[in-house]
Amino acid sequence: MFRNQYDTDVTVWSPEGRLLQVEYAMESVKQGSACVGVRSNTHVVLGALKRSVSELSSHQKKLLEIDDHIGIGIAGLTADARSLAKYMRNECLNHKYVFGAPITPALLMGDLADKHQRTTQTYVRRPFGVGLLVAGIDPQFQTAHLYQTCPSGNMYEFYASAIGARSQSARTYLEKHYESFTEASLDDLIIHALQALVGCVSGDDELTKENGSIAFLGKDQKFTMLEGDALQPYLDRLELKNAEEEKDDDDDEEEKEGDAPQAMET
Amino acid sequence: MFDSAMPPKSKPLRSGGFNKNTSSIFDPLAGQIHNSEGYGATRGKIDHGVTENPYERRFSPYDFNGGTCVAIAGSDYAVIAADTRLSSGYEILSRDMSKLHTLTDKCILGSAGCKTDVDQLRSVLDIKMKMYHHNHRKTMTTPAVAQMLGNTLYYKRFFPYYAFNVFGGIDEEGKGAVYSYDAIGSFERTPVTATGSGQAYIIPLLDNVIAHRNRLDEKRDLLKEEVVEIVKDAFISCGERDIYTGDKVEIAVITKDGIEKTYFDLKAD
Repeated sequence: MFRNQYDTDVTVWSPEGRLLQVEYAMESVKQGSACVGVRSNTHVVLGALKRSVSELSSHQKKLLEIDDHIGIGIAGLTADARSLAKYMRNECLNHKYVFGAPITPALLMGDLADKHQRTTQTYVRRPFGVGLLVAGIDPQFQTAHLYQTCPSGNMYEFYASAIGARSQSARTYLEKHYESFTEASLDDLIIHALQALVGCVSGDDELTKENGSIAFLGKDQKFTMLEGDALQPYLDRLELKNAEEEKDDDDDEEEKEGDAPQAMET
Repeated sequence: MFDSAMPPKSKPLRSGGFNKNTSSIFDPLAGQIHNSEGYGATRGKIDHGVTENPYERRFSPYDFNGGTCVAIAGSDYAVIAADTRLSSGYEILSRDMSKLHTLTDKCILGSAGCKTDVDQLRSVLDIKMKMYHHNHRKTMTTPAVAQMLGNTLYYKRFFPYYAFNVFGGIDEEGKGAVYSYDAIGSFERTPVTATGSGQAYIIPLLDNVIAHRNRLDEKRDLLKEEVVEIVKDAFISCGERDIYTGDKVEIAVITKDGIEKTYFDLKAD
C-alpha cells in the first residue's frame, strides 16, 4: 500500500518495517537466468543456464572461479557480480599471502555479507543487484559447503538451492531429492544439477551444451568447469535417464491396463 | 646483519685530505697519518675490525644465503638444477632447503641470494599468476612469466630483491626455454645459464660442453639424460671449490609431459 512513497532511498524504512530498495534489488536477482547448486559430503556442483542476447551473441558466463577451492554462480546484474568476484578473488589471495593458507569459505562469506550490508545502510550507494551461490571446500576440515547471498546481506547455508528466473521448479525438484545428495557420487550430483536446470528453461528452448554450464569442486578436486563439448556426455546421460523413466512410466501404465507384457529391451 | 667477517669499510674522519685504507699492510705510511692525528699506534698494523677509530656501523638489509642454480635448454626439454644448502656467513643453516619453485607445470624458477627476498618474490609471482589465471582463464605461458618476472624485479629497482634467478621451462612451440636475470630485472633468453655463489665455476664449463664454445668437434643435440649427467659433474666440481655449494643437488627436468625431479648427493663439507 505504501510502497511508492517509501521506496526512493535505501535509507528509508517503510511503515511495515521493510527496506523497499533492498527488496527491489532482490527482484533483480529473480530476473536473472537460473542458477542451481547442490552439495554432497565431498563435492559441490553449480549449474547455470546461460542466456544470450540474440542468436548472434555469445552466452553470458555465469560460473566464476574464485580460488582453487571456491567458486560462484551468479544471477542478476552481471556487472555487480563481476565486481564482487574481483573482491572475493583479492580476499583469497590476500589471505593466502598473509596467513600462508587458503581462506575458509565461511570467513569469506562473512566478509561478503558485511559488504552487502554496508550498501543498505548508506545514503550514497545502492545494494548489489545480484544473488550468488557460493560453493566452497573448507580447507581445514575438508567439508563441502554451499552458501547463498542476496542483496539484503543475508547469508544462508544450503544443502541445495536455486536462484533466478523459473527457479521454483528447480527448487521443487531439489526439495524432493536433496536427501540422496549427501552420499551421491560426483557424476550423480552433476546429473541432479542438470535435471534441476531442465525445469528452468523457458518455453520451447531446451538445455544444450551451448546454454548449459556446470562447475564442480571437491575435497581433492580443484574448481573445474564443464562447458560446451565437455558437457555433452552428461547431457546424453540425462536424456537417457529421462527416456528410461518415461519408458518405465509407460510400462507401468500398460501393466495397469492389463496388456500383454512386452519383451524387456536391454 | 653485521658483516663481521670482513673489515669495515671505514673512512678516517680526519685524514688531512688522504683517504687511505688503514688495513693496507703494503703502505708503511698508512698508519703514520693516523699516528700524527693522535689516534693511537696504528703504524703498519692491519685493521682486523676492532678499530680504534670511530666509524659508522651500518645495518645491511641483505644477507647472502649462498647456493648455485643452473638451467639448460634443450630441443624439447629444459633442465634446471640447484644445490640444497642454505648458509649464512660460515655457518650452514640447512642441508635440505630447495631453491627451485614450480610456477606452472611447464616452468620452474630457481633462485639464489637472500632467502627472504627469494620467498617474497615467489609469493608475489604466485599471486600475479593467479590473477592472470582468473582474468585470462588460462595458465601463463613461459615467455609471459619470464617477462613478468623481469618487470617484478624492476619494480624494486631502488631497493632490489636480492634474488639471483634462473628461469627454465617449455615455450609455446614445445622447445626448451631458459632465461637468466640480474637482481634488477634485466633478462635474456639463453641456451645455458648459472647463477649464485658457484656461477663462476659452472658457466665456463657449460659454455664449453653445452653451448659448444671453443670446440672444434661437431656440435650435436644432447639428450636430457646426458645433460643431467653433465649437470651432476658441474655441481661436483663447483662443490669442491665453493664453500656455499654442497650437500645435495635437486635436478628438475621439464618436458611437455610434466616435471620430473631427482636428487643427487654431494659432499657435505
